Amino acid sequence: MGTGHRTLVYLLTFWVILTLNFLLPRLLPGDPLAALLDPSSSDYVYDPEVRAALAAYYGLDRPLPEQYGRYLLGILTGDLGRSIRLNRPVAELVAGHLPWTLLLVGTALLLSSGLALLAGTESAWRRGSWADRGLVTAGILLANVPVYFVGMMLLLLFGARLRWLPLAGGRTPFAQYPSALAAALDIGHHLILPALTLTLAMVGAKFLLVRNATVNMLGEDFMLVARAKGLPEGRLKWGHALRNALLPFVAHLAAHTGMAVTGAVFIEALFSYPGMGRLIFESVTARDYPVIQGAFLVVSAVVLTANFLADIINLHLDPRLRERGVER
Amino acid sequence: MRRLGGEVWFGLILLTLCSAVAVLAPVLAPYDPHAFSGQPLERPSRAHPLGTNDVGQDILSELLYGARVSLIVALAAGSGTVLLGLLVGGMAGYAGGWLDQALMRLVDGMMSLPRLPLLILFATFLGSGLPQTIAIISLLFWPATARVVRAQVQSVRQRGYVRMARQFGAGHPYVFLRHILPAIGPLVAYGLVTSAGHAVAMEAGLAFLGLGDPLVKSWGLMMRFALNLPGLFLTDRWLWWLLPPALSVTLLILALTFIGIGMERNLNPRLARRWR
Repeated sequence: MGTGHRTLVYLLTFWVILTLNFLLPRLLPGDPLAALLDPSSSDYVYDPEVRAALAAYYGLDRPLPEQYGRYLLGILTGDLGRSIRLNRPVAELVAGHLPWTLLLVGTALLLSSGLALLAGTESAWRRGSWADRGLVTAGILLANVPVYFVGMMLLLLFGARLRWLPLAGGRTPFAQYPSALAAALDIGHHLILPALTLTLAMVGAKFLLVRNATVNMLGEDFMLVARAKGLPEGRLKWGHALRNALLPFVAHLAAHTGMAVTGAVFIEALFSYPGMGRLIFESVTARDYPVIQGAFLVVSAVVLTANFLADIINLHLDPRLRERGVER
Repeated sequence: MRRLGGEVWFGLILLTLCSAVAVLAPVLAPYDPHAFSGQPLERPSRAHPLGTNDVGQDILSELLYGARVSLIVALAAGSGTVLLGLLVGGMAGYAGGWLDQALMRLVDGMMSLPRLPLLILFATFLGSGLPQTIAIISLLFWPATARVVRAQVQSVRQRGYVRMARQFGAGHPYVFLRHILPAIGPLVAYGLVTSAGHAVAMEAGLAFLGLGDPLVKSWGLMMRFALNLPGLFLTDRWLWWLLPPALSVTLLILALTFIGIGMERNLNPRLARRWR
């Protein structure tokens, strides 16, 4: 399977997502979108300006294919409808929230990958030792404890008990920054707890993966040869064992990105962090359908793009995949 | 069966405890969890060992009844996931050929869909009752089970005794029920336990995000209401309101995980050596 084939598969997947997003509210009994415009319904939108915008956006009085065409066209031009709760374009809301999520997810992915590679290799190198057993137990625990539990514990410990770190938000409200550095510091300060939570939530699974892959490498012939050549310990460990164990690690990057985004949604809800998760959390409470749908599309697109990139990297790293297709 | 490891015992004991609490909730709970049995936000006292929530319901009673919701979800969504996985994976593995190809393409496609956003979208539009939650979780989580089941069925189908049975004129349903199903039984049991764990985490997560049944007192819903209280962390109220449900969900998930790890070891002795 080459790059072209992959691209096609991902485009197809995204089209399925787009179509699901369109059909789901329209095909279900008790059409929730129609209820927004129906004066006898409890979901009726009273603000005439918003109602007019919604009616124009959904065009529910037109035939389904025409609605579908207009929906796709709207997405191509970046029109995701209008928020009922805030009376602002959904695209604008998403643009304001997405960078925070990317910052959070990116930081946590980098940190957890680094930690997992270091600890996983060391643990495999000393397999059977107390340190290894302790790390494996910790890894299994971290990989299975729900992310919101980890977050609550950190929040309680560092935020509420020790009062070292801010409890909520992405930055100090109404702050005027004298310089860009001050702004970055404030944002970094608020990032620590959520990013630490997400890192911990992801490091367990990644660590177990690296450790197992490295342990498998230790029995390979090339390790024996390298050792027989008299290579120093460090070269053996990092240059031979870890380097080959990197392949399965990269192969799982896609799955881990999806996991990170899932984790981020819960963490942002918990820490009132102003990203996509928070937007979804608040929109769900208000039954703000256009925002939920828009956020769904954007988050799905981000996950799919990340998966696609991971696939491409994988394809370049491992020539075997290019020749034989993926072994499942 | 090999000797059970310590963590499997830990899991079994916790699960038994949780089931006992769920069954005996009406006996153990001091109040009806929906009754307004005290003043709002009471501190723990003899009358209310874990205090009361923001509308004056007894938190201990909510917690005990919450075990029922989580276990129902674990059982129902866990079985739903496994049944769907068994159906699709079994069919693909047993039939082979184009049906196998088509079904596995479907599985690949479903595995590449981002799961949580879909879960949120479905829960938003399908409604937030407990049956809907269970259906949504089953619908989104079956592909992983299907893949494992298919691989195993494929290998069992090739074994001598199965082919012999076919030669003797046994029909497909007979072979499937008599030979294939017992051979993949342990795998199915393992799938049930792990899916149940995921289901518990997802149900609590959905309720926590506000997409759960607002009338069913679940642990996730308790967490949501606790976190909705402004300034929860400024007092020590979180200690008896937020922590107990969060800890309960986590322990139930860990119990299922540990049982699963024990079963995995029995399924695959090579794995056992790898973990030593």
